[in-house]
Amino acid sequence: MPSWSNFQPFIPIGLAAGGVYALSGVGMVVLYRATGVLNLAFGAIGAMGALIAWTMINTWHVPAGIAYVACILFGGVATLLYGMVFGRLLAARDPLVKAAATLGLALLMLGVMNRLWPAQVTRSITLPTDNTAFTFGDASVDWTQVIAVGFGVVMTVGTAIFLRVTKIGTAMRALADDREITATLGVPVRRVEAAAWFGSGLLAGAAGLLLADLVTLASDGLTFIVIFTLSAALIARLRSLTVTFVAAMVIGLVDNLITPINSITNFRDMTPFVLAIAALLFFSRERQYSFARGGIR
Amino acid sequence: MIEIKDLTVRFGGVTPLAEMTLTFESGTCGLIGPNGAGKTTFFNVLSGFVKPHAGSVRAFGEDLLSMPHFRRARWGLRRTFQTEQAIEELSIYENVAMVHEHSKRGRAARREEVLAAIEFVGLDGDPATRVGTLGARDRRLVEVARAVVGEPRLVLLDEPAAGLPDEETEHLSSVIRAIPGHTGALVILVDHDMSLVSACCGVTAVLDFGIVIASGPTAEVLRDANVMRAYLGTEELV
Amino acid sequence: MADSNVATRSRSSLRAAARLSRRDAINLLVVAGGVLFVLLALPSLLTPYWVVTSTSAVTFMIVALGLGLLVGRVGMISLGQGAVLALGAWVGARLLFATALPYPIVLVMTGLITMVLGTMIGLPALRVSGLYLALVTLMLAGAITVVLVDTNFPNGGSGFLGYADQSTGTPPSIRRPSIAESDPAFFRYVVIVALLMFLLALWHIRGKPGRAWAAIRQSEPAALAAGVNVTVYKMWAFALASFVTGIAGALLGSASHVLYAYTFPTSQSIVLFAVVLMGGVYTLFGAVIAGVLLQVIPGAFTVWGIPSEWATILFGVGVLQVLTTAPAGIAHQLPSDLARLGRFLFGVARRRIPAGGRAP
Repeated sequence: MPSWSNFQPFIPIGLAAGGVYALSGVGMVVLYRATGVLNLAFGAIGAMGALIAWTMINTWHVPAGIAYVACILFGGVATLLYGMVFGRLLAARDPLVKAAATLGLALLMLGVMNRLWPAQVTRSITLPTDNTAFTFGDASVDWTQVIAVGFGVVMTVGTAIFLRVTKIGTAMRALADDREITATLGVPVRRVEAAAWFGSGLLAGAAGLLLADLVTLASDGLTFIVIFTLSAALIARLRSLTVTFVAAMVIGLVDNLITPINSITNFRDMTPFVLAIAALLFFSRERQYSFARGGIR
Repeated sequence: MIEIKDLTVRFGGVTPLAEMTLTFESGTCGLIGPNGAGKTTFFNVLSGFVKPHAGSVRAFGEDLLSMPHFRRARWGLRRTFQTEQAIEELSIYENVAMVHEHSKRGRAARREEVLAAIEFVGLDGDPATRVGTLGARDRRLVEVARAVVGEPRLVLLDEPAAGLPDEETEHLSSVIRAIPGHTGALVILVDHDMSLVSACCGVTAVLDFGIVIASGPTAEVLRDANVMRAYLGTEELV
Repeated sequence: MADSNVATRSRSSLRAAARLSRRDAINLLVVAGGVLFVLLALPSLLTPYWVVTSTSAVTFMIVALGLGLLVGRVGMISLGQGAVLALGAWVGARLLFATALPYPIVLVMTGLITMVLGTMIGLPALRVSGLYLALVTLMLAGAITVVLVDTNFPNGGSGFLGYADQSTGTPPSIRRPSIAESDPAFFRYVVIVALLMFLLALWHIRGKPGRAWAAIRQSEPAALAAGVNVTVYKMWAFALASFVTGIAGALLGSASHVLYAYTFPTSQSIVLFAVVLMGGVYTLFGAVIAGVLLQVIPGAFTVWGIPSEWATILFGVGVLQVLTTAPAGIAHQLPSDLARLGRFLFGVARRRIPAGGRAP
């Protein structure tokens, strides 16, 4: 069993990862509540945004700041476009169908990314905040990690306040509750949904950028990191933002703290899966009967 | 005969059934009540989809609630649903045969008994027709055919006339009246169509807020002052 | 009496339906013709590359069959069939290395073992449905994939895992049936196995399980009320899907002679689901189309020099198209499109013939 000092370096890494998962988790949950779409292409969108930023910096020599903004904006715009076309087309369908469609989007984007940015080249993004902020025992913590955690907290709290205080936020909560009634109340449903799509997309872009710096800038890896976010969101039953945040931090920490434990480190990649399965099964203990039809409808 | 004693169901803060106590002897029996009275909840308890907080149900001498839900069909429980649930992608024959093959009856008599049930409800098209292509009236009849096949003991009909025009209700009424004689089963009919209930049911019970507020010969119950108050205030029902 | 007339009519029309209708007979002839052509003529018409690709295509038809059954018949979305395939490949390879049993016996054993494993894994998933079932199966698949990356695939080594760390030399190859060593012969073998799997599925669909599954797909409470033990029948569907997928896995091992963990990435479960949707989940023919899409398209792209990412893009677009406009997939669209084409051509032909009687 490794010692405390072995674990230390992984704590800030874990917290930073957790912060990013919380960031995208919040986006995922808000989007699901407002539109019924569980966006499994979240990671792919962030990945593509990060790759675009990389090209802007390394190939077109655009100032880094503009590239980062472009990445985040790309996330928002791409998600919005999808929402306006396919979100609209599938609006009346089952959540399963909506989620399956985002899988299609993910595949599509994976293909495009691998085509435009061949996997053989190693790429990386180094944010200007990668210099050390302070040391914590044996571990050094850099500003990017601080930002990641900070962003996670700020977004969770900020979004919660936004949903409660602003008109659009309240409308989103109403949509989550009952779409049809909300529409009859005169709420501009399409505009509210567009806001949800765009906002969650921005978060996807930001998360993609941070993960590209903290973890990797590889299309496959970034796309499938969505599983971590998904686990956190599922543990929160796609409802509570606070639980999403806490779950995301725990997942990030546990996943990284396993690294120095040699006996199980090979199975580290199972963390999000195991946690998600546990959450899903724990929350479906009560057998619920519905007359909803099975399969693809 | 079915005996329900102190049946209670609680969901969160609501109590759909509150110590419901009722006995039906035989034949076709009506169960009416305003919306939200607990009628469908009662059926769901009998079907096994809802676990009661307290109370007991004894039917034909057996404790129904102790049986797992899918076993109750084998015992002889049959049910139709408010939104009709005949399987669209199967044929009429297959729909009815499915219930038969999960009942106590064996393979030998299957073809005869399935066709007899289809005939009994008055479906005279090709039994190999896919149910998805049928109209509302025929789909209802398929559901009823499923309810009378395979030695049923307790048949629950949940608003079988819902959505049907008056002419079709006539035919349905005659079929429902004939079920106890044809199968020996006890039928409980829930519906809002009072003329259907009067035509089919010898006795009727009235449920309101989860308790039985009246029960007895149908004509008397429908004129009962309490029942009228529960439904609409003071106007006459029939 | 009116009653006996109705009864006689019902019985005779049922007998008529039981006799093969003309359309059924034509279908049967077409299928039989197609299978004979594929078995006898096809291998000699194809280049070695395409023989290997076609073998993969037919193998994946079996996988698509299992998944299509779950999705189309029972209404259960499983995003984990890729992992079941990997499990089957693992078990098959292990048995083929560790024993000298005849190939068909190994296939059946692989199927049964994978069936047990698949059902055990699917057990917790039975309590959930819809979106959550899809997600649970995806998570389970991911977990299994991680384990397989760690244990690797058997390569003739000793011990339970049968994996020996080899850094030099060619790894021992997974054997094929003694009567079907060559690629064309193995292709024919796989076609026959696939045919048997399809017949197995058909037997289920036309019988009691098929009816119970149709009821479950439409409405679980109604199925329960009809006496169907929903849990058992769901397990049965999982078991059948795992059985055929396990056999397909074993065939994959023999086809490529050696297996690597990266042959079964998690994304494959998703691509599988996508392609099965595109092929069509409501008919067996859809599984045939899915197998073709899955292997022939990437194969063709490689031959024509089109980068393989285009296949992934195509599948992504395909999923979006199927879900938005044609939920029954190509298998449904194709016959109706062909029928429309046929009617159009027939109409053109009729107008060309000089009017001998009625106007068109």
